[in-house]
Amino acid sequence: MASNTTELNIPVADPNDPYAIPAAMPSSADKEPRSFDVADFAMPTRKQEDWRYTPLERIAEFLDVFKPSGETTIEISDTKGNAVDPAHVAISQVPINQAPSGTVSKPNDRASVVEWNSGRTATVIALNGEIAEPVLITVTGGGLDLDALHLVITAAAGTHADVIVEHKGPAKLAEGVEIITGRDSHVSTTFVQEWDKGSKHVGNHRIRVGQGASLRHSVVTLGGDVVRIRMDQDFGGEQGDLNMLGIYFVDPGEHIEHRTMVVHNEPECKSRVVYKGALDGKDAHSTWVGNALIQPTAPGTDSYELNRNLVLTPGAIADSEPNLEIENGNIIGAGHASSVGRFDDEELFYLQSRGIPEAEARKLVVRGFFGELVEEIGVPFISEHLMNVIDRRLARGESDAMKAVLEDK
Amino acid sequence: MAEQHTLEIKDLYASVETKEGRKQILKGVNLTVHSGEIHAIMGPNGSGKSTLAYTLAGHPKYEVDSGQALLDGVDILKQTPDERAKEGLFLAMQYPVEVPGVSMTNFLRTAKTEIDGQAPAIRTWAKELGEAMKKLRMDPKFAGRSVNEGFSGGEKKRAEVLQLELLKPKFAIMDETDSGLDVDALRIVSEGVNRAHENTGLGIMMVTHYTRILKYIKPDIVHVFAQGHFVKTGGPELADYLEDHGYDEYLPEGADSESALA
Repeated sequence: MASNTTELNIPVADPNDPYAIPAAMPSSADKEPRSFDVADFAMPTRKQEDWRYTPLERIAEFLDVFKPSGETTIEISDTKGNAVDPAHVAISQVPINQAPSGTVSKPNDRASVVEWNSGRTATVIALNGEIAEPVLITVTGGGLDLDALHLVITAAAGTHADVIVEHKGPAKLAEGVEIITGRDSHVSTTFVQEWDKGSKHVGNHRIRVGQGASLRHSVVTLGGDVVRIRMDQDFGGEQGDLNMLGIYFVDPGEHIEHRTMVVHNEPECKSRVVYKGALDGKDAHSTWVGNALIQPTAPGTDSYELNRNLVLTPGAIADSEPNLEIENGNIIGAGHASSVGRFDDEELFYLQSRGIPEAEARKLVVRGFFGELVEEIGVPFISEHLMNVIDRRLARGESDAMKAVLEDK
Repeated sequence: MAEQHTLEIKDLYASVETKEGRKQILKGVNLTVHSGEIHAIMGPNGSGKSTLAYTLAGHPKYEVDSGQALLDGVDILKQTPDERAKEGLFLAMQYPVEVPGVSMTNFLRTAKTEIDGQAPAIRTWAKELGEAMKKLRMDPKFAGRSVNEGFSGGEKKRAEVLQLELLKPKFAIMDETDSGLDVDALRIVSEGVNRAHENTGLGIMMVTHYTRILKYIKPDIVHVFAQGHFVKTGGPELADYLEDHGYDEYLPEGADSESALA
């Protein structure tokens, strides 16, 4: 044998407690660096695991540092349109590299490091105390010139608050979001993407959930030519509770991608990831990748992730990929479920045989598919709006289908 | 006297797409049902009884080759399943479909609204629903559950009869309604069908392999269905004869005589 053998130090399991020691391998799900320096990230290719589902050619402009157009506007109020109480909701602009901006981990892929280095300022929303009325942040695109936006949402210890971030208008937006919640805070953040046709949005959320805190993080993507949002999360202390909810509705030709990366790095934390999407029409493409990493430092972890896709019409593609990496045997649970289902002809026939027309039957089934999840997002301002949008979307599908029929004739 | 309606099936041929290619199942079905009549459609397994039921209701799997089914003169075979239901046809399925996420209340109210052409008045509707469920010994919590989801076989059949009572069709096809029911459930379900019959005077086609449900729901006319069409018609005594003799004489030459009646 050659002499250049390396001595391997593989831990040996204790037969009485075989899962007590961490796995011998480092995380295989995520090999990307964490850095503020663009040079640390190679240009992505679809050969890389993180980018294999993404149509890179359609977001090429997001992968090199650019000069932001500055056309994007941000308005902040409560959901009734009133000004927020500055004693509880402090809004400020800071240079992008000034704390609290840049304090929740570091950029984790080429798109996020480009966003970091292209933007100049960050908008910081600092929450504290009991905030009864949800805070509404409206991000309006001003056109299809590439822009960058960096949002930082902080919640002081003990905060109770709901935040909604709505994205609308035409835009090409590179967005970075940092969320950091303090000890024993209970916060929800809901991000709605309802972009105009032709819009592109590449987002990166970096999230830290405080000790004993709960965060409900919801993402609702209803429009945009290409929307790709990567969300990396970890815990700032033990007994954190993370609930990530997602809803997407993909139209013909759209690519809608959500990547949730949950890291259990602290003891006795709980995470739930539930993403559901409907796809309608030719070349509608959705991607959900759910990574969950349970580190040796996180005994007592309870985690579960689920993704369901409902394909309404032929020609759509849904990619769904849960990845679990468990480096700690002393946990409560780590589960996942994933499915892609076609709109069921038998369900349709059953409803029709009771007098319900096809279009109405589809609406019932799709509303049913999303219903529970919409409830769970738990912000009435959003739930009602969502169901209306979904109905409208389905109605539009009908008229498009009718149009196709007429054109065929 | 209830309104008089007629369902007239004329020389119906229908096929199904199978792995081995297209296969004709219905071969010249003729039948006339009037309001108030209860017809038992009996026959050996694989004779095409269920195909007849699903073809009439408009299941996309079955294709009509020729023939008509006239409900008061309107050929329902040219209509979509929901149009047929609005015309007054109801199919109680052997295996009711689960529809996750759609609550029974929402479903029933939507169906009732579509069939009647207007939403039922909220208060009377809630009362009617509550009473109908009670008579079928259905737990009120079923109203809040998803359509048929997680229901036992017996609960699904009760839910079908509940719809029959609430939607008040002119004609109902009951496809193997007795299958999977124990004696108590069979009695409750049968009472529901009889109640609907008394209250609305609808015409009923009971598709069944066994005679046991006919002890609870008394047919006026009994038909034997074999090899894709009706081969014999008689009174209730025909059911007794089939009970004693089975379907052997109606099976194709060489088929094994596995047709024991319960």
